[in-house]
Amino acid sequence: MIDKLKEAVREHLEELELVIGYGEGYDPLHATPIFVRRPEEVDRLLWNPLCVYNLATYLYGLKGKKVGVVVKGCDSRSVLQLLNEGLISREEVFLFGLPCSGVLDLRKLAERVDVGRVEEVSWQEGKILVRTREKEETIPLEEVLQDRCLSCPYPTPLIYDVLLGDPLPPKGENEALLRQVKELEELTPPERLRYWKEELERCIRCYACRNACPLCVCQDWCAAEARDPHWISMRDGVKEKWMWQVLHALHLAGRCTGCGECERACPMGIPLLRIRMKINAELRELFDYEAGVKEGERPPLLTYQVSEPKIEEPKW
Amino acid sequence: MKFLKREDIPGLLGRLSERFRVYVPVKRAEVVLWRPWREGVQPALEHQGTEPPKAVLFPRSETLLRFGCERKEVQVEETIEAPPTVIFGSRPCDARGFLIYDRVFLDEGNPDPYYRARREATTIVTVLCLDPERTCFCSTVGGGPLDEEGSDLVLLPLEGGYLAKALTPKGEALLGDGAFVEASEGQLSEAERLRERAKMEPLLELDGIPERFNESFTSDLWERVSQKCISCGACTFLCPTCYCFNITDERTPEGAERLRNWDACMFYHYTLEASGHNPRPTKAERYRNRIGHKFSYYPSLYEGLFACCGCGRCIKSCPVSLDIREVLRELVSYGK
Amino acid sequence: MSGMEERERRIVGFLCNWCSYGGADTAGVARLQQPTDLRILRVPCSGRVNPLLVVKAFLEGADGVLVSGCHPGDCHYVEGNYYARRRLELLKRFLPFMGIEPGRFEYTWVSSSEGQRWQKVATEFVEEIHRLGPFAGWEDEG
Repeated sequence: MIDKLKEAVREHLEELELVIGYGEGYDPLHATPIFVRRPEEVDRLLWNPLCVYNLATYLYGLKGKKVGVVVKGCDSRSVLQLLNEGLISREEVFLFGLPCSGVLDLRKLAERVDVGRVEEVSWQEGKILVRTREKEETIPLEEVLQDRCLSCPYPTPLIYDVLLGDPLPPKGENEALLRQVKELEELTPPERLRYWKEELERCIRCYACRNACPLCVCQDWCAAEARDPHWISMRDGVKEKWMWQVLHALHLAGRCTGCGECERACPMGIPLLRIRMKINAELRELFDYEAGVKEGERPPLLTYQVSEPKIEEPKW
Repeated sequence: MKFLKREDIPGLLGRLSERFRVYVPVKRAEVVLWRPWREGVQPALEHQGTEPPKAVLFPRSETLLRFGCERKEVQVEETIEAPPTVIFGSRPCDARGFLIYDRVFLDEGNPDPYYRARREATTIVTVLCLDPERTCFCSTVGGGPLDEEGSDLVLLPLEGGYLAKALTPKGEALLGDGAFVEASEGQLSEAERLRERAKMEPLLELDGIPERFNESFTSDLWERVSQKCISCGACTFLCPTCYCFNITDERTPEGAERLRNWDACMFYHYTLEASGHNPRPTKAERYRNRIGHKFSYYPSLYEGLFACCGCGRCIKSCPVSLDIREVLRELVSYGK
Repeated sequence: MSGMEERERRIVGFLCNWCSYGGADTAGVARLQQPTDLRILRVPCSGRVNPLLVVKAFLEGADGVLVSGCHPGDCHYVEGNYYARRRLELLKRFLPFMGIEPGRFEYTWVSSSEGQRWQKVATEFVEEIHRLGPFAGWEDEG
């Protein structure tokens, strides 16, 4: 697939100002976003389970330029949602679609190997080989893929200009992520609050979650940092961090595509995705809606029906 | 030289907690955080913290003063909190970070009373590094895995424990605890061997980098190296040498309080002016400022000292894996 | 629960100016007994209620929050309450996931002539909050 990608990029590079893709990162366990502008740079492109980054996050900032971007299935949903909201224009993006069977969860891998001292990584059919100075481990990929990949409903991009591989069948309907939500729902609300306080206590309000999100286009004018109205105090309490996550999740309601970049970007490893997935699951049930799946669909909170079949009458 | 057995550490920390507030690295999920030690807390001394212990001396948010109005009189209450503290388990890069803060916050003419009070009350116990991670580059910026500068007591990992050496009176004071026993000859020679093996070669020569930076100021290099940056604050907030802050006032039920909070030059808001003008409106200018501050402006004010300790946290925690070493590599050969 | 202390709780009500506030007023004029610990905030429309206002109320010490607007179809601004219905239903389902017990946040529709109905809503909602007790979630957070 990588050769087809390079060929396609070479073919279209002239008509584009740049192409955003994946290149080699700072160590064998990392790729990194690269911005290809000249033909000589095309060979830097690569494609493997280290390509975790959702490159659609750059699109809003590059408005006005015609850019190419490499998208996995999940990333293509972000692009579709940005298009549905009129935040980017179709003529300004050229999509190189890559069907994807899953990307790595470095935190899962860190439980098995010393990820800070890896010397070599190679891939076998369904396995990853990691070599550090101390040892060499062969691990089945399924055991270290991100949870969201285990039951990915859209491995093949839903929107693309060129598709550079054979379409892949869905792995599921997001059961792995919905299980994360269910696990929490098995606790009582006070237990849940305690859980969130424990997890959110280590938040440092770096806003990596917000800035990594492709749909967060108002990050430079974020309500969380506004002083008028002063939604959230600058104090370092868990109250404030809880409020920040609730604010973020509510502002993303109907827009979040569950790409998980928020959780991946968090330097403190806070389980953020399930907060958004809870809202996504409710919107699915209430309005049969999934963000970034149907072209031209209007987010449910920006519209209404006179009669809402799924919303029960208030009890009084 | 003294020796501290690994199994004696919980006892030592327990006794220290009677006199000090003790901070240790603790593992939670796959991250290592700095938290107050309590009975039963297992310190993760073999790991570099995901975050540095900087918040112990420079809190994420602190109240500088509280004020309120009683009838027509304004009451101001200063709030300096500086109980005796021990940071137990920092790394040489973390200690170096505090040295960079000292130049700024302990300036003779205008010292920061909050930082000074905490600094004077804190003892730093550093674990030296025998096996740096791939992202470590402390020796490139003037530090090193065995660097003792900035620490009060250093611990060198040996078989079964640590070789302990006090560097200051504060460090000496801790050695009085019964957990520290005389080191044996065998331990001393083991230490020598390990020190020899732990040397880390600098990645590159940063001589002249302030000048290279100044020359590159208007170059399109900055747009290029920053294009994947997403302008969050992860690198800044996890950096042991970053110290920018923002001061704001907030209402309280009794009146108001003045807060000092961490700020990051990577944010759009950092230089946003009341008029609406922003001298650093794009990522390129902001990233250039980050590198400029660390490798040109700060060194020019403080005898060539880089405001970077080479801990590699910015590389590891960056959501898009931006590597500052790559930028330095380019900068060092700029114009050649 | 008997023996539950009858201290006043902090309960906030966001009532739309045209219908629900009028309904509460009707109840007052008719001297219908109402709970004294429901503090009413008048908003132009239930559609003006930003879900974050509800969240912030809980963070600032509210034990319960009630939003009441015109009946769907009767909104003074035609469609404000249609948007509110979607937003607030989502909020109602989301808040328990983040640790706020179901029952602490409710939304309903009361028209300006429904004085008795307002009395019932207010009384029962406040009773439920008393039954749930104070929201102690942030007590230890200073």
